[in-house]
Amino acid sequence: MAEQKINTTESGSTASILSIRGLQKSFDSLSVLKDISLSVDRGNVISIIGPSGSGKSTLLRCATFLEHADGGDILYDGQYALKDGVYASKAELNRFRTRFGLVFQNFNLFPHYSVMRNISEAPILHGENREEVRERAMMLLKKMGLEGKENAYPCQLSGGQQQRVAIARALAINPEILFFDEPTSALDPELTGEVLKVIRQLAEDKMTMVVVTHEMPFARAVSNRVIFMDGGVIVEQGHPEEVFGNPTQERTRQFLRNYQQ
Amino acid sequence: MSLMTMIVKMSEGLGKTCAIFFLTLLFSLPLGMIVALLRMSKVKIVSAITRFIITVLRGTPLMLQLLAVTYGPYYLFGTNVARNKLIPVVIAFSINYAAYFAEIYRGGIESIPVGQYEAAEVLGYTKLQTFMRIILPQVIKRIMPSVTNEVVTLVKDTSMAFTVSYQEMFTIGKQIANSQTSFMPFLVAGAFYYIFNVIVDYLMGRIEKRLDYYS
Repeated sequence: MAEQKINTTESGSTASILSIRGLQKSFDSLSVLKDISLSVDRGNVISIIGPSGSGKSTLLRCATFLEHADGGDILYDGQYALKDGVYASKAELNRFRTRFGLVFQNFNLFPHYSVMRNISEAPILHGENREEVRERAMMLLKKMGLEGKENAYPCQLSGGQQQRVAIARALAINPEILFFDEPTSALDPELTGEVLKVIRQLAEDKMTMVVVTHEMPFARAVSNRVIFMDGGVIVEQGHPEEVFGNPTQERTRQFLRNYQQ
Repeated sequence: MSLMTMIVKMSEGLGKTCAIFFLTLLFSLPLGMIVALLRMSKVKIVSAITRFIITVLRGTPLMLQLLAVTYGPYYLFGTNVARNKLIPVVIAFSINYAAYFAEIYRGGIESIPVGQYEAAEVLGYTKLQTFMRIILPQVIKRIMPSVTNEVVTLVKDTSMAFTVSYQEMFTIGKQIANSQTSFMPFLVAGAFYYIFNVIVDYLMGRIEKRLDYYS
């Protein structure tokens, strides 16, 4: 019944995995997102850059329902999760949650769980076969360069290893799109490389990703499209070579200049 | 009366002391969680009332609460005082300790980073799954030292049952002390409580150690 209801939901008419239209979000009187629109096509990697307080993280948090948007549309695969500021039912939102994964700035691994349980519990709770999930988890660990770490606890791992476990955990539910909220900002500089490497690898595997980042060379190298946000609006977006190499907006130029210094 | 006779007579009350101790833990530990959740309720009136009740229970003597629960019904409604005093004693202890445990639980729950809830939410855990699987186990580890403190205090607090003449170990000791005009029963009682608490300390330490596999 519920399944059918979703299928008959009015379509957003695009082939995009994620479409956001006219998204608005305020904290009290402070408007953090003003009329944000963007869409993410399958297999694309989108980087969102911008100064702190520009609304990048809030945008990701709205897309993953951690933050309650005040207006606009959010569609996954053409189906409305948010329509004109009204959310779909709880059950439907839960089904949308299986379509995406989110990697946090400070990992948010469950400290009392082993690496294996961190990765495998959610899919098992969703009713998947325990053995299959475990096999998939082992495969993901191998992919993340964490073979043999399945019985370790998060506190026994370095920050870079923890973040790679968090990526494996997000991937374990087989999401169609993966969000990263400044995945290397909490890491020591010498550990960012190993995390960026696995994200790059995922990009090569055509994983659809939206990455909020301050790592400009990474954003330039790995993304199909770069979005520059400031003051709650998208100031400029385009191919990384355009945005980084030849920005059209003064605000973008200023930001990138400050960054190079 | 020889020391040995004293010890034997007083240890006959140990069963009742243990009954107060274990039954109080049995009821107050879960009751405290309910009180903590009410205290943290988003419904303002619920949290305000719970908060008031907690201040009363923590702000008045346990001895007074014991007397109130045991003899209050007689003065208020003229009903008979319970023949088995264990019932009012355990009720009073459980309510009082639940108030303390509730504040310990609340402190523990509020110390868990919000990121734990968010990670679980994005992964599709239900609210109940998040609490039972992610939050509660971490809370238990964090609050163990404070809980141990309360449990140790409870061992000694059982002696307060003498105020309603419940025949636990200390009450018997006090009666012997009165009839023999001897201080010895109090020393025996002190030794009993000390040994009891050494055991409690050891057991709680083992539980803490078992939870020590992560930090």
